[in-house]
Amino acid sequence: MKASIGDVVLPGDYCEEITVAGEKAKVIIGPGLRRELDRVYVTKAGVLKKRNPCTYWVDSYQKRYVPSRGENVIGVVVQKAGDIFRVDVGGSITAALSYLSFEGATKKNRPEVQIGDIVYAKMLVASKDMEPELVCVDSHGKKGRLGVLSDGFLFKCSLNLVRKILNPSCPLLESLKNEWPFEMAAGMNGRIWIKANSMRETIALGNAILGAEYQSDEEIKVICSNIASILAGHIS
Amino acid sequence: MATRKKPQLPKSVLDMKFMKKTKERIEKEIENTQDHEGLYSGIITNEMRHASGNYISESSFIFCQDIIEGRVSFKGMNPEIERLMESENNKEQINGEMEKDVSDEVLYKKMNNFHRRKRPSSPSKYDVPKKKK
Repeated sequence: MKASIGDVVLPGDYCEEITVAGEKAKVIIGPGLRRELDRVYVTKAGVLKKRNPCTYWVDSYQKRYVPSRGENVIGVVVQKAGDIFRVDVGGSITAALSYLSFEGATKKNRPEVQIGDIVYAKMLVASKDMEPELVCVDSHGKKGRLGVLSDGFLFKCSLNLVRKILNPSCPLLESLKNEWPFEMAAGMNGRIWIKANSMRETIALGNAILGAEYQSDEEIKVICSNIASILAGHIS
Repeated sequence: MATRKKPQLPKSVLDMKFMKKTKERIEKEIENTQDHEGLYSGIITNEMRHASGNYISESSFIFCQDIIEGRVSFKGMNPEIERLMESENNKEQINGEMEKDVSDEVLYKKMNNFHRRKRPSSPSKYDVPKKKK
């Protein structure tokens, strides 16, 4: 069936707008779209979205992570195998993380990573047929925001929620950032790690994030202010 | 195509006894280029022939949507991360202000004044030939 931008689409639908745009200029077709012969077909159920200029994708609800290059993810170290750590990122197989891809690591000076540690890493290689590969440094060899996450609390959520809270227009972080000290790492693989000074604050933050999933921007603001006032002890 | 452009040895030279190996090699090369189409016909599909480079397939949402960095810290929980966030914010602000440093109008007026002052007092070397006329 023909579909246009903003429609709810199902696998097998096709969009002629993209084909027309593709004749004139370069078109980026994101997740959920596939070019087959002379048409662009939908491969996932969701909402067909567009961003100017000429970027199309399908916004679908998904909990299973499929590794793709360049994404920052949170993984759990499950095995030490010689030169690499095997990290569970929620994909079909574990990802490989070389012990040399940490800041300041050399063959003699190994990073201190134990089995069970949580790492925030970037997908370096992610192809269909190969084991994905992670790194904890950028191209300059600096760790930046990547690395081992110590303490804190890790929970899983849908991939959509991570994208929602990391959207610059989402009010969640804006309304929470002045309430109490906390730290958060959100992986594109649907895992969120949070850390606050007390258990009460950590639980409150986790509830605020998970509660935001199906709420509108206005409702998120209300939820956040409610949680903040409960935590501050105004309401018991 | 490439073999035609290459300087070729004359046939009489190739027929000499010691050029036997070279002759065989050249014949093989010509054969290879001719068989090129047939050799890869199974691999090169119609789709590949008609493919235009206008479609870029991207498997990640991070290139489609606007997404901020996933690691954040607030109110001094992790000073290291907050320093990074601040330096990034500053960079953006500096980039924004650079454009507004001197507005177009001011620059236009200043440059006009500058040219007017410059011309009568010190003629440049390009003006010299004109005066001779």
